[in-house]
Amino acid sequence: MKKKLIELKNICKAFDGEQVLSNVDLYINDHEFITLLGPSGCGKTTTLRIIGGFETPDEGELLFEGQKINDVPAYRRNVNTVFQRYALFPHLNVYDNIAFGLRVKKVKEQEISERVSEMLSLVNLKGFEKRNVSLLSGGQQQRVAIARALINQPEVLLLDEPLAALDLKLRKDMQVELKNIQTKTGITFIYVTHDQEEALSMSDTVVVMADGKIQQIGTPIDIYNEPINAFVADFIGESNILDGVMLSDYKVRFASHTFECLDKGFAQNEQVDVVVRPEDVDVVPVEKGMLSGIVTSVTFKGVHYEIIVDIGGFKWMIQTTDYVAPDALIGIYIEPDAIHVMKKSEYSNMFGDYSTFSDEIDHLSDVTEDEEE
Amino acid sequence: MKKFSNFYIGLILFLLFAPIAVMIFFSFNEGKSTAVFTGFSLKWYMELLKSSEMLNALKNSLILAIASSMIATVIGTMAAFGIHRMKNKYTRQSIMTVTNIPIMNPEIITGISLMFLFVFVGGLLGLTTKLNFWTMLIAHVTFCLPYVILNVLPKFKQMPNALPEAAMDLGCTPFQAFFKVQLPAIMPGVITGLIMSFTLSLDDFVISYFTSGTDFQTLPVLIYSMTKKSVKPTIYALSTIVFIIILILLLISNREKSSYERLEAKKAKAEKKRQEAIKNAKKAAAQKTKVKVTAPKAPKRHTVSPKLTKIIALVCTLAIIVTFCVVLNIASKETVTLNVYNWGEYISDGSDDSLDVNKAFEDYCKNTLGINAKVNYVTYTSNEDLYAKLSTEAVSYDVIIPSDYMIARLASEGLLQELNFDNIPNYELCIDDSFKGLYYDPDNKYSVPYTYGMVGVIYDANVVDEDDVGDWDLMWNEKYKGEILQFNNARDAFGTAFYKLGLDVNTTDTKMWDAGLAELQKQTPLLYKRVMDEVYNMMETGEASIAAYYAGDYLTMVENQADNIDLQFYYPENTNLFVDAMCIPSCAQNKELAEEYINFMLSEEAAIANAEYICYASPNKLVYESEVYKEDMGEDAFDILYPTDFDFADKYDANCYKDLDKKTKEYINSLWNRLTITS
Amino acid sequence: MTHSSKTRKSNMSLLQRYAAAPHIVWSVLFIIVPLIFVGYYAFTDVSTGEFTFSNISAFFTKEYLLIFGKSVKLALIATAICLVLGYPIAYFMTNCKPKTQRLLMILIMLPIWMNFLIRTYALMTLLQDTGIINTFLSKLGLPTMHILGTETAVVIGMVYDYLPYMILPIYSVMSKMDHRLVEAASDLGCNSFGVIRKVIFPLSLSGVISGITMVFVPSISTFYISQKLGGVDTLLIGDAIEQHYTAANYNMTASLSFVLMLILIVGLAIVNHYTDSDEGGGMLI
Repeated sequence: MKKKLIELKNICKAFDGEQVLSNVDLYINDHEFITLLGPSGCGKTTTLRIIGGFETPDEGELLFEGQKINDVPAYRRNVNTVFQRYALFPHLNVYDNIAFGLRVKKVKEQEISERVSEMLSLVNLKGFEKRNVSLLSGGQQQRVAIARALINQPEVLLLDEPLAALDLKLRKDMQVELKNIQTKTGITFIYVTHDQEEALSMSDTVVVMADGKIQQIGTPIDIYNEPINAFVADFIGESNILDGVMLSDYKVRFASHTFECLDKGFAQNEQVDVVVRPEDVDVVPVEKGMLSGIVTSVTFKGVHYEIIVDIGGFKWMIQTTDYVAPDALIGIYIEPDAIHVMKKSEYSNMFGDYSTFSDEIDHLSDVTEDEEE
Repeated sequence: MKKFSNFYIGLILFLLFAPIAVMIFFSFNEGKSTAVFTGFSLKWYMELLKSSEMLNALKNSLILAIASSMIATVIGTMAAFGIHRMKNKYTRQSIMTVTNIPIMNPEIITGISLMFLFVFVGGLLGLTTKLNFWTMLIAHVTFCLPYVILNVLPKFKQMPNALPEAAMDLGCTPFQAFFKVQLPAIMPGVITGLIMSFTLSLDDFVISYFTSGTDFQTLPVLIYSMTKKSVKPTIYALSTIVFIIILILLLISNREKSSYERLEAKKAKAEKKRQEAIKNAKKAAAQKTKVKVTAPKAPKRHTVSPKLTKIIALVCTLAIIVTFCVVLNIASKETVTLNVYNWGEYISDGSDDSLDVNKAFEDYCKNTLGINAKVNYVTYTSNEDLYAKLSTEAVSYDVIIPSDYMIARLASEGLLQELNFDNIPNYELCIDDSFKGLYYDPDNKYSVPYTYGMVGVIYDANVVDEDDVGDWDLMWNEKYKGEILQFNNARDAFGTAFYKLGLDVNTTDTKMWDAGLAELQKQTPLLYKRVMDEVYNMMETGEASIAAYYAGDYLTMVENQADNIDLQFYYPENTNLFVDAMCIPSCAQNKELAEEYINFMLSEEAAIANAEYICYASPNKLVYESEVYKEDMGEDAFDILYPTDFDFADKYDANCYKDLDKKTKEYINSLWNRLTITS
Repeated sequence: MTHSSKTRKSNMSLLQRYAAAPHIVWSVLFIIVPLIFVGYYAFTDVSTGEFTFSNISAFFTKEYLLIFGKSVKLALIATAICLVLGYPIAYFMTNCKPKTQRLLMILIMLPIWMNFLIRTYALMTLLQDTGIINTFLSKLGLPTMHILGTETAVVIGMVYDYLPYMILPIYSVMSKMDHRLVEAASDLGCNSFGVIRKVIFPLSLSGVISGITMVFVPSISTFYISQKLGGVDTLLIGDAIEQHYTAANYNMTASLSFVLMLILIVGLAIVNHYTDSDEGGGMLI
């Protein structure tokens, strides 16, 4: 039976009258790797900071092993943080940075030395004790920051976009390493990121947030395959999201065509959002297709081609391994299990049309905003 | 272009350093001159070590600089911390605007505005000494604060926000986080701020000038009063030492800085190497060979090490302790301080192997009276200065030495205390009867004569034609346009005009004064400058050739005149006679010791030392009857000071300046203002 | 995450909220209040304590206006000379090797750390009729110059004392300038004069402005320089203030200070209006 370690009950937080978190309910199990995922400004960092003790919620309760800890200051919580830009102390060397927490707790120097070297080997930084932290590479600084937090043997480690400042290759390596460390130490990790790929590949549980609210909680597979609304569907991976009508159980109509699907339990003729992942659409000759349209652009992506197809005015994104010429008329075929039907939500009609690449632009601005911080 | 720019930089540097080089050069001059080098000697450095006045001022400056820079650094660092976190943009901006006022405002206004505050508050509290160490401390902290804040604030801005959070996350309380993490991160700014405050405070003249009292004189203020006269090379010696210390400090800080830059360069290099290593590794990976990527060994860390921080902390603590002790020392009553306010160069101060009279008095107190006394000796340049200081009650003195008419004025305004002559037995013993019962103190209640003399005309015989000398007309002679120096105080300046015109110098008829003004205005275009004690330097160096001044000072000038100068002196037929006498003002806090001091000044050794040093005629029998004195002065000088067949007491009444009624005084003042300001 | 400026509200509030308090109290007591006193004394009669305009109106008499005009004139001349002499130095310095630059910085800063009274006095001994310069000239058989006591001498003194304050801010702005800008300008067809005029000068303007302020303000308010180097007719506004102060005439001291301050505030406001240097630029060394 899993133990509830941290529980957030109805947490609300506003800055200058602007609601940043509204009614957040969340529990975090022991030994879990949980990721708070969402675009910039969604409240994920604020949630993390509330758990870390850097913010106090305006409303609601924060429970740690069943005890309310709303007013316990950061330095008395058995929680440690790896900060976004590591926040290493520039006036201390690697050893002293890692030893900092223990020194504050007045641990004996001998024990400190043992535990520091243990940590250094955990993060693969043996021999770096005397280094000036500002002379380390980003990845090395990252490890020092992790070691500095872990040495205090926290029950929970909070990681605030820890890999955001690293380049792609290093980020991938560190993802693996972080997961290993988590498995080895068994500490609960609460991880904040806006990178959905990172979230999917590392987490036991993903919490998708938007606009200060939790949209969906689930395993990475659930989140990907069964997004609860248009926002989640769009934010996690690529999706074509269309307006549809649920004619009856297992029967949905969209794009002027009636499809078979695996979804049921909707009211008859209920307006719904339909998600079709680009990789689940098969390109077929026009006559064999359920729908047909004109290819407007083709981009080579290595493993596959990414093509945009205009079907009845709606731009679909389709990933296919076979080359298709631009301006060609093609047919598409969708298996019933490739169709996911969702209830209408406030995010309906905001995402899922590939007429522009707004998604990528959003993504870019996301990064710059983080940099500024 | 390069050649030209090098030449240009060199030229400007040369111009910047020429005066300093000259100063250093002449600090090794054997003679007193600051223009003619007579030989190498270290005597001014030796004199510096002996000069209690200068060393005391230096000590005061250091105490003040340490105390004010410390306080400013603490308050300023806290302020920067608070301002950095301030949410409201407008509060923040307005605080910064106010903070910057002392930097942007002319120093003279900062000084004067603070002086107004201190005098006003002091008046409310009924303090006798309204300007003192504490007022200076406040003033110095005030003008140092913005520099600390401007140095520390950027460091807070550079510091990542998460740093203190990280510390708290690791178990620090907010206070611990501040001291363990934030303070080290902003330390370079704090130290720069501290050093800047220290040097600014040490060097400040203008603000100190307006906010300093009598009992605490800093070096720049002392230098100011000294440069009003001919500067002694001791100041050059002191400045040379200061210069060398600063040079060394700057060079050291430069080395620190460049080592910091080296570190930065290394960092960049390390980064480059790392990138290369990564590239290589990628290549290697492509060849399916595993290469371990190791960063090059980084140089030893170079930021402010904990050790250095500790040392700095230690030094700071020590400095605080020392300051505290000294401040306590100032405040403690064990040492009695006697504030003596006198004319510049009007006491034997120990230079040139003379007797240091003030020190001798301190010794006398210690050995004979068993009191730990300290003479705090401050100078003024005119009777009016003295009066201004006394009447505003901004300061407190125990002994003052004004001239006759000023004594009359002070006495009539109740600013003097009656002396207890039982404590001044030397008075009866030494002072000639002809100096008793003079008009300014008819009942011999307030004053003990110190010196007397006459005003005469000094001229450079190499410039001035012998035919032109003899009377006051020389001061109005168009031939010597731009060579003439006039007194820079109303009474003496009007005096010259009145004597020239044959008028009564003590008239209350405003028409007469108007006539005097007209005469002076006629003279103005001919003048080089109106001066008081600067006259020494200007005459000795030949900068000017004609000046009316006091006979005794002529003798000093002759001693120090440059090679190509031949100073001569004469008394015009009618001229001013004056007596300067020692008095105790009503604000005195130590009357008995003051009387002891006056008595001591009359004693043979001190009186002769003073008379020989200042070269004024002495009313003290022990002096003018002394053969040693006569011999030391030389016959010519003696004749000038004590002209034969001249009965001073007899002529005095007719030719002295008397205290005039308030209306006339105000009238003269307005005339004087018009004269000096319009010219 | 965009709200970090608020974040420590709960935890650090105590430390923070009061950290600036001593400074604020200090500033009010010892910066604002004293300035109010200047105004108070400027508009009252010390002996009676009554409100009066007579002190201020005394300033607007021919005598004081002449003095004031002279102060402005000499300070402007000195500032202009400092700018003309100092700007090239700052520019040339930035073209030196970093090591040389540091050394030059020290050399230019060094005189600032010497007491300006002594520097001025040393300058005076240099300029005297029998000073080094004239002795040297007469030894060469050249005619000597009489400088001391003239307005020229006062301007020389101002330039000598305050030149470093012009060089340092300009240099510190210039040295932070991106060198590629110059390259970009030449790439776009500017000749070297054009580069200076169109790129370097506009970019160094904030340094120039703070240099001008740092020279002009002390120049216009000086009293020591004119006292030492000037003559009968070089009485400046600072001298007048000092004279009234020594004569314990607080009303006139205050009124002259008040007017001087007002004029400088207006002047600085105008200057600040035309440039957007917010924190005084590179005045710090």
